[in-house]
Formats: sequence, structure tokens, C-alpha cells
Amino acid sequence: MFKNYTFQTNILRAVVYIVLFVLLIITIIPIWLLLVNATRSTVEIQQGISLFPSTHLIENYHLIVSKGLDMPRGFGNSLYVSLATTVLSVYFGMLTAYGIVVYDFPGKKLFNNFIVVLVMIPMQLSIIGFYQYMSRFGLTDTFAALILPSIASAGSVFFAKQYLESIVINELIDAGRIDGASELGIFHRIMFPLAMPGAVTMAIFAFVASWNNFFNAFILLSSIEKYTLPMLVQTLRGDVYRTEYGAIYLGLAITIFPIIIMYALLSRYIVNGLAMGAVKE
Amino acid sequence: MAFLGIKRDHYGYIFIAPFIIGFLLFGLYPVYNTLYLSFTDATLLSPNSINWVGLKNFSRLFADNTFMRAVGNTWLIWILNFIPQIGIAMLLSVWFTSTRLRIKAVGVWRAIFFLPNLLMPAAVAALFFSLFSFYGPVNQFLVRAGLLPEDMQFLQNKTVARGLVVFIQWWMWFGQTIIILMAGMTSISVSLYEAAMVDGATASQMFWRITVPLLKPILIYIFVTSLVGGMQMFDIPYLLTDGRGSPAGSIMTNNILMYLKFASSKGHIGAASSVGVLVFIMTSVVALGIFYFLREKD
Repeated sequence: MFKNYTFQTNILRAVVYIVLFVLLIITIIPIWLLLVNATRSTVEIQQGISLFPSTHLIENYHLIVSKGLDMPRGFGNSLYVSLATTVLSVYFGMLTAYGIVVYDFPGKKLFNNFIVVLVMIPMQLSIIGFYQYMSRFGLTDTFAALILPSIASAGSVFFAKQYLESIVINELIDAGRIDGASELGIFHRIMFPLAMPGAVTMAIFAFVASWNNFFNAFILLSSIEKYTLPMLVQTLRGDVYRTEYGAIYLGLAITIFPIIIMYALLSRYIVNGLAMGAVKE
Repeated sequence: MAFLGIKRDHYGYIFIAPFIIGFLLFGLYPVYNTLYLSFTDATLLSPNSINWVGLKNFSRLFADNTFMRAVGNTWLIWILNFIPQIGIAMLLSVWFTSTRLRIKAVGVWRAIFFLPNLLMPAAVAALFFSLFSFYGPVNQFLVRAGLLPEDMQFLQNKTVARGLVVFIQWWMWFGQTIIILMAGMTSISVSLYEAAMVDGATASQMFWRITVPLLKPILIYIFVTSLVGGMQMFDIPYLLTDGRGSPAGSIMTNNILMYLKFASSKGHIGAASSVGVLVFIMTSVVALGIFYFLREKD
């Protein structure tokens, strides 16, 4: 009887590993083909599939640039917008959450519930109104319009609040007060450094979201020299590159490569942060 | 401990003030403005002539087959993607947390399954466009393996195009769902399962009587966030074909329609706003319905 149970478990385990392996292939293959094809010439790509890199990386890069796509500038724009967005949403997210967690001011509960509602409001309810309003101030086609809204990122506050609730130590705050630190000074010099692991997790999510954001940039930006990477992807999809397969794959690879590297280094933060955000709901 | 006459707890207002100001400027006012515009004939071409037209934009949308089709497509694509997403994620989460199976390197498996979620959706759409193009690797593979007699125009076929959007959405989201479900499962007390085992419960009984009911808040969370995201689907259907929901409007979604109205030659932002408002109302009603429906049973 017991032997039978072990046997069944082994069969089941084998089935599970087979399913996992199939899902692994499905997950990896498109990404792998993308990275490999970025190093192959158009002729090689037309000749057939290969799972091994070739030697035409530089050549493909020259092809992208020679047809007028300013990849380095797009990369720079994306990096600038994403970093600025990240800094604002992490700092102000922590600041707001700290205010909620530490102080007991009238209206706090209302504000707290309000944040939860805000997280759920979709961008499609505000983007057109936002565009029209920015255009009245001549702020369309500026990075400011993409960056400044992250001061009021409800998602960041939500996450920061959950994180701070688990680490804020009132004795430490009181000790700071006795030493004569101001309330803001306590936040900046005592609590923020303590909350660094949470801030890193928030920063990763904010950065990825901004780096990948196509729709808002697509609505707001119009001049080519301001295009971010997702918008250059759209250009790559266009007629100019129709037959330059190697160049297209390389262009796409450039947009996702930084994220893959970041994930390889920080996957623990990302997976734990995601799990934490959901469970304390 | 008062400083400049401010009570200490009132310092909270100083901490939340930047958020409030940012929210009023970049959150509340744009929402108000979108609502307002949805009742007007505003265009980008003539920004100074904005006339109140009442519910005309909305009645036009209801009479417009394109809008109804976009709503139908968005729902269809979302539902077809959500069922396998939650189903496979649930299965894998059960396997990963099973003390009987003791699967090795769970962390590595789920880290890999999660990877597509971090990739730029625009780039993913363009990638699948290339993979499934006429001279692309999928055709090469299928023809050489003898599964297709000749190269096929995949992206001109309605079913294939829709299926691909569904597949890409699933591909990008099932790993994320695994992580969230597992976080919920590992927070369920082991003693419940031990007690059930002592009482002779089977694995499936334990799943339906313990795991699912205790996961309900997490399941609602997954459902609602996926719904809100799914109703805003844009990048993938937009960049997979020509940006107009081709072939034959089969992957035209709510947000593509909203964008087309916005980007039309006159820039009909009034009409575009009304699409956003209607979709928001629809999403909220369904989300609140889910909350209500699942809460009442307790």
C-alpha cells in the first residue's frame, strides 16, 4: 500500500516536471529567438531558424542607425523619464505613507480609503482630459507631463504604507525627537534609510512600469527627438525596416535587454515585492 | 512638543500635502476634465470652440457598431486569456506548494515564468508580429516540419490574430498570477491541512474546502486587477497588426478606438473622452458586482 503511494507520487511528479518543462520552453523560446536573431543577418534569418547566435550584431546596429532611428537618444530619453519618475514616486510615496502610518491626524482614515480607490482608477478615465489640459499650458510634448504625475502615485503610497507598517519603530522616532531632530529630519535621516529595502522594491516596479509605458508617451509626445524606446519600437514596426529583419530584432532586443539584466540581478526583490503587495491586501 | 504652534499629529498634513497637490493637479482635474469633455464636441483642431452637447457622444457610441464591436472584442480577449491564466497558475501553485510532490527549484521555475511580465508590451507585440510574419520563423518551422503545406498569412486571419493577442496576454501574465496565488497559499495555516488529513480528506477536498475559500480575497484581487488591466488593453493589439484592429476589426479594443478618435484628423477629444468614460463605468459596475456577489455569501 505504501509502496503504491510512492509509485503514484513519482508518476505524478514526472507529469508535473514534463508540464513545467513545456511551459519553460514556451516562456523562453520567443525571448531566445529575439536575442539570437538580433545577432543574425537578414539573409541568415530568411534561411531558417537557429538557436545559436551569429556574428552580425554590429552590422545590424549600423543598419538601424543608417535608416534614421536614433536608438541612443531614445534609450537616453527612456532612461531619463524612467529615472525621474522612479525618484519622484518612491520619495513622495514614502513621504505620504509615512505621514499616514506615524501621525494620527483628523481625516486620516478617509484619506487612507481614498488611496485604495485611487489605485483602481484606470488611465483611460484621465488621459484625454490630461492631454487637453496640458496642451492649454503648452506642456504636451514635454517630459514634464510624463514625469510630474508620479508625485501622486497611489500605487506607491499603497505599497509604502504596507512596508512601513511592518518596520516603523515608535521608540526610534521618539529617540530622534529627544535628540532634537525635526519631524521631517526623522523621516529623512532615520526612517528612510531603514526603509531602503522597501524603497528598492518600489523603485524597481516604478522603473519597469515607466520604461515599458507606451500609451502615455504615445499620446503626449510628438517630436521625434523626444521619442522614448516604446515609441521607437513602433517606428521599427513601420515600412522603412520592413525587410531588415536583423535590425528589427536588434532594436527590440535593445529595449528589453536592460530589463532582463536587471531581473537577473534583482529577481528576489521583484518576486518578494509582488507577493507582499498582494497578500496584505 | 509643539513647534510653531502645530500639534504634532497635524504634521501628518505636511507629509501628505505634496501628494494631495499632485493629485489635484495631475489626477483629479484630468478626470474631471475628461468627464466634462465627454459631454462636449471638443476637437483638437479648434480648441476654442467647445460646445456642450449633452449625451450626444454617448448615444452615438451606442449606435456605433465599431464601438460595440470593440467592447465585445475586449471582453472576449480578456475572458479567453483570464481563464487559462488563472487555471494554469492555480494548478502550478498547487504543485509548487505541494508537500507530497516536493518540486525542486520552485523559486527558479516561477522566476522564469514571471520574466515575460517585465518585458515591454510594445516590444513583445512587435516581436510576435515578426515571428508570425509571412517570412517569419513560425512559417519556416511549420512548413519545414510538414505541418503546413505552404507559408501562411497568419496576421490576416481573424482567429489567428485574436488567438495571438490572447496567447500573448496569457504568456505575459500567468507567471505573475502564480506568484500572487502562492503568496496567498503559503499564508494559509498548515494546521488546517493537517487537521483535514487526520479526518481523511482527499487532496481535491482540501483544495476546494480549504484552499479556495481562504484564497477568496486574493482571487478577487487577481480578478479585479486583471479586469481593469484587460479593459485597457492597447499596446499588444495596437502593435501586432496595423493599429486599427485589423484583420477586419477583430482585435480592435476599447483603447484602440479611443486612440483612433483622439488621433483622427480633427482630433475628436470629446468623442474619445466618452469612450474612456463609458468603459470606466462598465468596468466599475462589473468589479463592484464581483465584490458584492462574493462578499454576500459569507
